[in-house]
Parts: sequence; C-alpha cells; structure tokens
Amino acid sequence: MACVPTTGLYSIGAVARMVGVSVSTLRTWEERYGVVVATRSAGGQRRYSRNQLEQLTFVAREVQRGMSPGDAHRLLAHRGGAAAEAPPRPPEGVGLLILVAERDPHAAGYVDYFLRTEGYRVEVVSDAVEAERRFALLAPQLAIVDLLLSGGLGGPLIERLTSSSARVVAISPLDAEEVSAALGADAFLQKPIDPVALVSTVRDLLGTSALTRATARSPA
Amino acid sequence: MDRLRSGIPRLDGLLSGGLAADSINLLIGVPGSGKTILAQRYAFENATPERPSIYFSTVSEPLDKIVRFGQTMSFFDVAAVGTRVLFEDLGHELVRGGLGAVLERIQALVRERRPGVTVIDSFKALTPYAADERDYRSFLHALAGSISATTGASLWVGEYAREEIAEAPEFAVADSVIALGRRSYGTRTGRVLEVLKLRSSDFAAGEHGYRLTDGGLEVFPRLADRRDDSRYVLPTERLSTGVAALDDMLDDGYWPGSATLCAGPSGVGKTIMGLQFVVEGASRGEPGIVASLQENPTQLDRVAAAFSWTLGGDVEVMYRSPVSIEIDEWVYQLLELTEQLGARRVLIDSLADLQFAAGDVGRFREYMYSLTQRCSRAGISLFMTTELPTLFGVERLSDYGVSHLSDNVLLLQYRDAGDEVRRCVTVLKARATRNTTGVREFTIGPGGISLERPAAGAG
Repeated sequence: MACVPTTGLYSIGAVARMVGVSVSTLRTWEERYGVVVATRSAGGQRRYSRNQLEQLTFVAREVQRGMSPGDAHRLLAHRGGAAAEAPPRPPEGVGLLILVAERDPHAAGYVDYFLRTEGYRVEVVSDAVEAERRFALLAPQLAIVDLLLSGGLGGPLIERLTSSSARVVAISPLDAEEVSAALGADAFLQKPIDPVALVSTVRDLLGTSALTRATARSPA
Repeated sequence: MDRLRSGIPRLDGLLSGGLAADSINLLIGVPGSGKTILAQRYAFENATPERPSIYFSTVSEPLDKIVRFGQTMSFFDVAAVGTRVLFEDLGHELVRGGLGAVLERIQALVRERRPGVTVIDSFKALTPYAADERDYRSFLHALAGSISATTGASLWVGEYAREEIAEAPEFAVADSVIALGRRSYGTRTGRVLEVLKLRSSDFAAGEHGYRLTDGGLEVFPRLADRRDDSRYVLPTERLSTGVAALDDMLDDGYWPGSATLCAGPSGVGKTIMGLQFVVEGASRGEPGIVASLQENPTQLDRVAAAFSWTLGGDVEVMYRSPVSIEIDEWVYQLLELTEQLGARRVLIDSLADLQFAAGDVGRFREYMYSLTQRCSRAGISLFMTTELPTLFGVERLSDYGVSHLSDNVLLLQYRDAGDEVRRCVTVLKARATRNTTGVREFTIGPGGISLERPAAGAG
C-alpha cells in the first residue's frame, strides 16, 4: 500500500521510543552488528522503515528475554531479516488525545498506529454518532474525521466539531480540500494517508511534540 | 412511465428514454468494461438533496478506490458527495454479519435517506456469503421486496458471465439487464453494450459500440436502421458533378441524395473527381464535407491548391486515421458534422480504409447501408471512392458490396495508348437516369477533370 513505504520513515528517536531502548543503543547495534542499517535522510539523519522497526522490536524482545544482542542479531540474520512475530501494539501514549472517526477499519488501524508511535493517545470510532459521544466525553485536542462516514454524516460532524476548541483534520479519498475548508476543517489530507504527512500535519496543529502541549491543553 | 436517465442521450435513446424510474436493473460485464463508471453516472445524474443516490460497495473493490477513480470523471461532483450522493461500504457488514447484516444496513439507510437511486457494486460478490441457494433466494426476495416497496431505482453491478443469465436468480428479479463487453472484429477488438432485457418497454436490440470517456460512456447505437417504407420527397433538380461533360453523360448530373461510387486504380483521379464534386457544390452555396481517411488536411490543401480550389469555408475536412478509429464512431462523427454544417455533398475517401476500420465485412456493410439510407432521406449526396487493384482491365469491383447500395457507379481506368497512358471514365450504373454508357477519356488539368471527345472504338 502506498501509505506503508518500505523506505526510511521513522526517526531514530521515534524508533527508540517504540522499541523501548535508547538512541545510543540503536547506534551501537547498527555499528557493531550491521544487520539493521538505517537509511540516511538528505541531512544525514537515520531513517527506519516499518520492516526495520519490526526487526529492532524483535531484537529488543529477545534481549529482554535474556539473549545477548549479538545472538539476537545473528538469529535475525539467520531468518533472513524476518521478524518472528508482528510487533506489539505501540505503548499507550501519555500525550495529547486524538479522536479518529474513520469508516474504513484498515485505514483507521494505520492512522492509530502512526499516531501512537509518535506518542499520541488515540481513540478510534467508525461512525459519526459514536464520534460525537466520544468527543463530548473525552474532549480530545484534535479530531481526524473521514468525510465519507456512513449516512453522509462526515461533513456535518466536522462542522460541529470545529465549533469547539479542538483542531479538526478532514480526510477523504476524494480531492475534497475545498469542501473540507468550507466545512471549517483546519487541514485536509487525501487518502491513502501518507504517514509522514499525517504526523507532520498533526504536529503542526498541536505543537512540535506529542508531549509538550499535554499539560497546556489538557482538558479542564 | 417515469424514466431514469443516464444523461447520455444515445444510451437513453436505446432504452426508449431510459430505465424505468422504479425498477431493479442489472449492469453486467467483464472487469474494466465501465460498469462502475456507468453506475456512478446514473447516481450523479439523478441525485437531489431530497432524493439522494446511495452507492453501496461490497467486497469486490475497496470503497476508497471506487471513489478515487470515480472523481476523475467529469460528472463526479466532489461537493455532492455526502449530500446528494452517499458512498457506503457494505464490506464489513458482509464479512462480519453476512447477508442479513447487509440487508439491515440497506433497509436502514433507505428508510433514513429515501434515495432515488441505490447502487450495489459488486452485487455478484454477495453470492458466496449465502449459506446455500435457499438462503440467497430469501435474501434476494427480501431485498427486492424492500426496494420495490418504495419509489426509486436500484442498479446491481456484477461481473456476471452470459451463461449465468439463465441460472442466477437475480436475473429473474431484475427489470432490465444491460451487458457491457468486448467483441472482436477481425484483428480489432471493440467495446459493445447490449440491452438483454427491458421490462414493459421497447429497446434497440443488438450490440452497440461504446467508448469510455471522462463523461462516462459515449455510445454508438447500431445504425442498422429498420426498414423504413415511408415515402419521402426527393428534390427534382439535379446536381452538377463539377465536370460539364460528365453531367451530360449522366443526363445532367447526379440526383440529390444519391450515393455515387467511384472505382479506379491508384492515381487515376478518384479523389480529384470527388473534390471537384464537393467544391462545385460549395461554389453554389452548398456546404460540403471531405471525409478523408487517406490524405491529411495538409496533403489535401496541397492537392486542392494545384487546382486553385480552397478547402475551408464551405468545405470542411474531416480527417481521421484509419488505424485509430472505429467505424461506428466515425459514422456518428460524420453524421453529426453533416447536421452541424447543413452539408449537402460529402466525399468519403476511401472505402477500403473504412472497411479496415470496421474490422469485418458484415459490420462495414451494415454501417454503409444505414449511412447511405440516412443520407438519401436527408437529401445529402455521397461520393465514395474505392481503389481497384489492377492498373489495366477490370474484372470486378472490390467494393465490399457498396455498388449495390450506390445509385451511381463510375469506373475510372487507364488505357494503354501505345506511346502514352490515358485516363477514361465509364458510367456503369446510374439509377433513374438515361445515362450514356460509353467510355470517355479525361484529362486532369489546372481546372480539375475535363472529359475529352468520345473515344473512338472504346468499350
């Protein structure tokens, strides 16, 4: 799928958070064992793909279970780089809360995953009625709403949510930027969702980090 | 009867104005045939805020993909999505709750939104979710019942094969069936649309060509006009051929609305004779068309300039490459242009190229029969060229049967006159005309074709 690129995607900091090891450990593993080698951005920064994230998650888990880092890397290499199990669900963030109202469970799953890996807390719903209920209950800082929610209710939902203090991002497989602007959404993203565009849009709307504005914007 | 129109006039025409407004319709065809495009066209064409269209996707193609490709169509109004046109995904209901859950969801949305049009795409993909045939028939019965209980039309889209029409129960439920497919014509493959069923309404039978465009489908109904015995008035004043002596041979020219076939070997002057006929008309204020499949406009301009004729103005050149056109599309373009310009004289150069574009002889004859009939009724005179393979001596006309359809047949030939090769013309056939059957030599000079004295010993 277009929204899951195989090239470098995540920063070393994001991978360290997700895998649960330090940035320096990741650097050491790469230099010492040369099995999971990040690509470099134009500015020389390490960028990890989702596959590499899974490989590093595998190594970290084996190390945690008592295997030496060297053996864990050799096991990974022996398996041709295939991580044995799917990566665990990213840890629950403690940062800002994002409500995702998305009809398509596959797209919702990716959005949930990408945002959690950045440290956001995510609440996913699949219809407009549930979205409004959750929004009232949880007061998220940002809502991502699919314009194609069932019953033609995506647009009206966006209109109502924009009257709150929350930021609203409209998403749609259609090129509906004008429609979304007319509804008052703060941003529009066309599906399939590009993870980098998603995360940077959310960051732009909420501040540079998932954590920094948690206290400032936490619901009263 | 109220009609559900596609907004594609020629398609609606095939269906006597459109599908029935309160009906269940099956749109079937192979993948890539344009079923989804046509269904979306119906959905957008008929949607209003009060009676929106609801487009249900199932498990054949993800909804996001259906709309993403749909929006490349000119009729796809993004601003209407969510208000006049609703897109709904039934895939998750189907996978989780089977046909029962699908039925409940459709019924709930039909109650809430009162759609004028519902589309289920793909309907065929629902079949495997039935436990058995009885289960599927119960589902169909309930769905058809709830759709028919209120006003509105439903389009069921599916990749059904022709063989399934007799077997699958949805075909018995449907009020109409439209099939989209492909057909080979010789070395060519064309898209064809066929109406297989249209309850309580007449429809144009047979395979009709179509093309996918950004407006949906452009349909070219078969021109196989039914035999029409009704009388029509023919003009009584003859038309000059543009060659004075030839007019004499034809007892003062062609009848208006006649079809003339001009056969001859390469380079003998068929195109020039045709151009002369059209240019002659233009000089009398009769608009004409040069429908060329051989020379492109630049080449034709050069030919015309050699005789001080001007193309443009009252003479429109319609050039199409024979390798890139289909005969149905070409005939429609020619008829439209004729109507648009009010053309009275048309040169078709040449039939061999047109036959190549038709792919097979039967299709070619069908179109030529209809074209000559339509032109005759409209009083439009046709001049058609056909090439003969031999330079000297003619045993038969390789005209694909067009000479039978033609009112006049001219044969242009070379004659070996010892130290030179001369050109000559024979009027082989001239309906309702006291024509001269002799052979007359002609020359091509600065003014075009002019006939010489009657050839001695010719025949």
